[in-house]
Order: sequence, then C-alpha cells, then structure tokens
Amino acid sequence: MAGLELLSEQGFRLDGRRAGELRQLRARMGVFAQADGSAYLEQGNTKALAVVYGPHELRGSRGKAPHAQALVNCQYSMATFSTAERKRRPHGDRASAEMSLHLKQTFEAALLTRLFPRSQIDIYVQILQADGGNYCAAVNAATLALLDAGIPMRDYVCACSAGFLEDTALADLNYVEEAAGGPQLALALLPQAQHIALLELNARLHQDHLPRVLDAATQACRHLHALLDRVVREHLRDAAALLGK
Amino acid sequence: MAPARYCVPGERLCSLEEGTPGSGTYTHHGFIFASLAGCFMKKSENGMLPVVSVMRDVDSQLLPDVGATVTCKVCSINSRFAKVHILYVGSTPLKSPFRGTIRREDIRATEKDKVEVYKSFRPGDIVLAKVISLGDVQSNYLLTTAENELGVVVAHSEADVRMVPISWCEMQCPSTHAKELRKVARVQPEFLQT
Amino acid sequence: MASVVLSEAEKVYIMHGVQEDLRVDGRSCEDYRCAEVETDVVSNTSGSARVKLGHTDILVGVKAEMGTPKLDKPNEGSLEFFVDCSANATPEFEGRGGEELGTEIANTLYRIFNNESSIDLKLLCINPREHCWVLYVDVLLLECGGNLFDAISLAVKAALFNTRIPKVRVLEDEGGREIELSDDPFDCIRLNVDNVPCIVTLSKIGHRHIVDATLQEEACSLASLLISVTSRGALTCMKKMGRGSLDPESIFEMMETGKRVGKLLHSSLQTVLDEEENLGTARKKVGFLG
Repeated sequence: MAGLELLSEQGFRLDGRRAGELRQLRARMGVFAQADGSAYLEQGNTKALAVVYGPHELRGSRGKAPHAQALVNCQYSMATFSTAERKRRPHGDRASAEMSLHLKQTFEAALLTRLFPRSQIDIYVQILQADGGNYCAAVNAATLALLDAGIPMRDYVCACSAGFLEDTALADLNYVEEAAGGPQLALALLPQAQHIALLELNARLHQDHLPRVLDAATQACRHLHALLDRVVREHLRDAAALLGK
Repeated sequence: MAPARYCVPGERLCSLEEGTPGSGTYTHHGFIFASLAGCFMKKSENGMLPVVSVMRDVDSQLLPDVGATVTCKVCSINSRFAKVHILYVGSTPLKSPFRGTIRREDIRATEKDKVEVYKSFRPGDIVLAKVISLGDVQSNYLLTTAENELGVVVAHSEADVRMVPISWCEMQCPSTHAKELRKVARVQPEFLQT
Repeated sequence: MASVVLSEAEKVYIMHGVQEDLRVDGRSCEDYRCAEVETDVVSNTSGSARVKLGHTDILVGVKAEMGTPKLDKPNEGSLEFFVDCSANATPEFEGRGGEELGTEIANTLYRIFNNESSIDLKLLCINPREHCWVLYVDVLLLECGGNLFDAISLAVKAALFNTRIPKVRVLEDEGGREIELSDDPFDCIRLNVDNVPCIVTLSKIGHRHIVDATLQEEACSLASLLISVTSRGALTCMKKMGRGSLDPESIFEMMETGKRVGKLLHSSLQTVLDEEENLGTARKKVGFLG
C-alpha cells in the first residue's frame, strides 16, 4: 500500500516509535473490590483487564487436579467490540482456547503452586480493546492482578512481542505491524531469574536473526518489568497511606 | 518509625545464613527471595536466626491444612459418613466454604464400630473438627472428631431451639426438655457456670 | 445471578431497616447509589459507555455495520443486543455459565426497544430494502453488585448518545448503487436518545419497596418489578421477577414510584451526558485508570 511504510528510512515506525521502543504503559491495580485481585493495563491502544479469584476449593472434577499442587485455571476472552470487525463470540473459539492454555502454562511456571494443594486459582483476562500484543498485555495485567490478590509468586512475569523487518528487530508490535505478516515472537520472561516462561514464534525467521529478535524482546521485557515495578510500589504506598501507616 | 521497606516478588532479601524464611518468602540456591508484594519484616528471636517475612495489609486466603482445627457446618448425613462445609480455619473465616467429609469411623475414638452417624450429627449442626487428610482424587477433605474437645458445638432441636449440652453424648432442648443424641464437644472450662 | 448467602439475622436486620426507610448504607428507599457514567471509553467502536453503580460495573460498546433491512421493515435499520456476563464478575460465569443470565438480559433489552418511539430507526436506513445500518449493542458485565438491569439500561442509553455513525452518500451508477463513506471523521449522524427508556427495578422487602437493591438486599426480597420508563414518564415495558407473589395494589404503588424515580434518573443522566458533550475533546478520559 502506498505510503504505509512500517519502518521509515530514519528509523521511525508508523506511530513514531523507534525500533526498540515500547508503547506507553499505564496500569492500575485493585480496580474491582469484589474480586480477590484485579488489575487494568493499557499498552498503547491495547486494553486488558485481569481478575483473579482464589485459592479456593476445586470446582469441577477432582480427577483433573494435579497432585499436591494448585490447579491454575485461566480464561482469555475478548470483548465483542474489541476488534475492528465485530467478534461474534467473546470466548469459546479455538484462538481463545489456545490463549487460555498459553496463559495457564505461563503462570504455572511462576506461581508457587505447591503451597496450595487441592485448590484452584482462577485467572480471568478480558481484552477490552485489541491493537496488537494481546497475549502480552494479558500476561502483564494478570501479573498485576496476582500481586494484588497476594498469591505467592516466584517472580514477576513480563511479556512482550518482537518482530523482524528490513534487518531490524522491532519490539512491541501493534496491530498493523502484526498484520503485515512478518515473523513475530512472543516472549514471557521472569526478569530477576532471567527465565523464559513462554516463547512462541510465528512465520519463518532465519536462524542467524533469532538472537537479535530474542534480545530485543528480552530488553523490552526488562523495561516493562521496571515500569510494572513502579506501578506496584506506588500502589503499596497508596494502600499503606490509606491505612494510616 | 523507620520508613517501611517494600519488596516485590523475585526480590532477593538475604542469604540463608542471615535469616530463616518466614511467610511470603521462598528459598532458591541458598538465598531467600520474596514471593509477595508487601512490607519487609525481620523479627529477631533470642539466640536463633531472625525470621524474614513479607507482610501484606490484607490477609490472603488461608487453606485448611493437615492438623488444623476447623469449624464446619453439617450439610447431609448417611449411614457411612457426614458431609460438611468448612467455614472457619482456626478463627479466620474462609471467603468461600470448602467441602469436607467425616467418616463413621472418625467420629469417636472408642467403640468405633458401634457408632451411628444419625446419633452423632444432624444436618445444620456446627461441628469442631480436625483435618486428617487433604483428600485424594475421590474424596474431599477428611476430618475427624475423635477427641474430647471436638464434636458438635451448636445444634438446634426439632423444635428449632438451641440446645444445651448435658453430657458427651446428649443435648437437651430448654423448651421441650427433650434429649437428643449428639457427639458433643467438651465445653471449655471458661464457659462453664458453676 | 451471582448471589450472596445471608444469615437469618442479617435478613431480619435489613428488613427492619427498610420498614423504617433506612437501608444498610444509609440511603432511603428511593435513593440510587453513587453512579459514575463515562462515554467514549473504547476507541474502535462507534460509541461506548461505562457505568459504575456501587459495585456494579458495566461496559457497553456500539458498533455500526452495514446490513440489509428486515423484510417486514424495509425502511428501517435495526438494533441487535448481545450481553456477555464475563467471568470477571464471578467464577460461576466461566465458560458458558453466564449465558442464561446474558440471554435473559438481552431479551429484556429487545422488549423495551421494541416500540416505534424509543429510537428512530428510519435514520439508519440508507437504501430502502437494500442497505441499512445495523447497530450491534454489546454489553459487557464486569462486576455484579446488584441491580444489573438499571445499570445496563443507563449504559446503553449513554452509549447510544455517544454513537457516531458516519454519513454515507449513495451514488447512482449504471451497474448499481455505490455507497461512499464520507472522509471527514466528524461528519456523522448522531442518534436522538430523548425517548430511550431506562429500566427501574423495584424490589419488595416486607411491606415496602426499594430502588437500586444491592446483592444483600436482593437476597432478602422475594419479588421485584422491572419497569422501563422514558424521560417523560411513559412506560414501555413491565415485568415481574422473583419467586414470590405481589398483590395488585403494591404493583400500582411500585409503578408510581418507578415513574417518579425514572424521571429523576433520566434528568441526571442527561445532565452528565450534556456536560461531557460540552467539554468535547478537552475532556480528560479516565476510564478504568481513575
């Protein structure tokens, strides 16, 4: 399409960012009073809302529960008005089921599930506006919600996407960049320990370029970690101030 | 007062030589890390290593643990067991009730084969019990009342009046003076009027 | 519906308070909780609104898409409602658990909009019998704190007020008609929501009835009456809900209260919406961050 260059000669992307720059991140913890933990996160134009219930008794069959560990149950749902074209069903289709499984896998690596045997932790993520990086915004929002609920975690989980275009690695892709069809990498990282919880790569990418893309994603995750850390500490200070400490 | 130090999950607090891990922390490779977002606390006890823990303002959900004394309400009974809803663990209320089972052989410590569930519990009774097992694939939490201090604490008679305990196996209704059989918990001495 | 378990003593406490016109949080029988309404919260919709009524949180998004008119109404567009009770509100709504409640609310919304005067659907027609605008109104239930229907109808009205449908021009060609969307993003049709009704739910507790019940109060009331009132006090729909029974006199009393409260509700909502409209682009959008 004429005039739609994803990366200009001066190194600027469509929304004016540089190759390794993240979108603006705004977040708030404790949005809902009735849930055990909740958080709202905006990464650019992508808006995600995460709610955590638990740990509570196992619902459903006890046969599916892992032995001596808590069952982590995730549901990823997109509001019907979140995408440019209206989505018919918020959840229950294959894409949402796959995302739910990815979320479950990511958080089983980070939560200390051995502390809550025979119980269930529910993580529900709702995407209110989808503009690329949906899975990553969901993971970041869910991390904040778990911290708000006070469920013991090994570390934060920060997620970011990365792509590769014209020999440059781009971090934090938005919808237009994702739809362009280049390789996309989604990375969920535990920053302090530098452990990868989930890694997913779509489309073809030459092996030699992989370290650079992975590096861009890791750097972006570390920046995200610093931003999320700031949000959490502010929330702790505000909560303590309200209690008069 | 010194400003509170906040810590976040994954933050390294100290090494295992400088403290013992308390609540809200976990150990890895000889160091203690925080697992909750909250206030860092170091309580030093005499002679022993200080206990390092992370406190939150709001207490998170407690789960019934093996050996904990729980307060539960009987939902249904049959000849082999009684099904209960666990409402309190110790003295902290649970946000959502857990289900438990008291088997016939765990109701009393003596004469286990002569026990009848119908003569020990009725639906609606409040019972003090102890957790013996977290349960497996087939069952819920397994509880026992085979101690003197465990058993029925509050029960209503058939006239829907709260009954008074008169012995370890009987309770009496104050309005109709009818006696009903229950496995009664021994009343704590401070609540007895003599 | 997400419900809360109350002991007998708590129920008696609430009932006695209501008989004296004093509810648990200090309100009188006809007072609403503090409500927050904000429009234009989600950007890739034609219109959106968020309503927070106590612990009840609703988000509505309206999307305008082109479709074909219904066969029996060739000169009109249409409104389609979809209610998603998300698992955020309570874990019981996970998977398909929230479908029953969602269908019930959607059917109620269809009924209250099912008359000619609520909203002018002829405005949505582009080419009679061929093209029209279909407005998909999607309601997302985020938190359930009692009194869902009122909050949802407020949010739907606010979202419809905020909806901007792009103006189209029909070009006559030899091959057929071509539809051209106007380039200017501010050139759009706005809907007139003066006659859009709002739902008022009155719950009967003891001998009196209350407006805007919380979850605890809903657990105490055996029967409730749902009426939809326009800003002029006209009723468009009435439905009795709940296990208990009502006698005809209380129904008439509740209707009168509902009309009175409904008119107040409409005027307050209109004030807020007009204020937002006047601020225009200078308004600072808060959304969930505030």
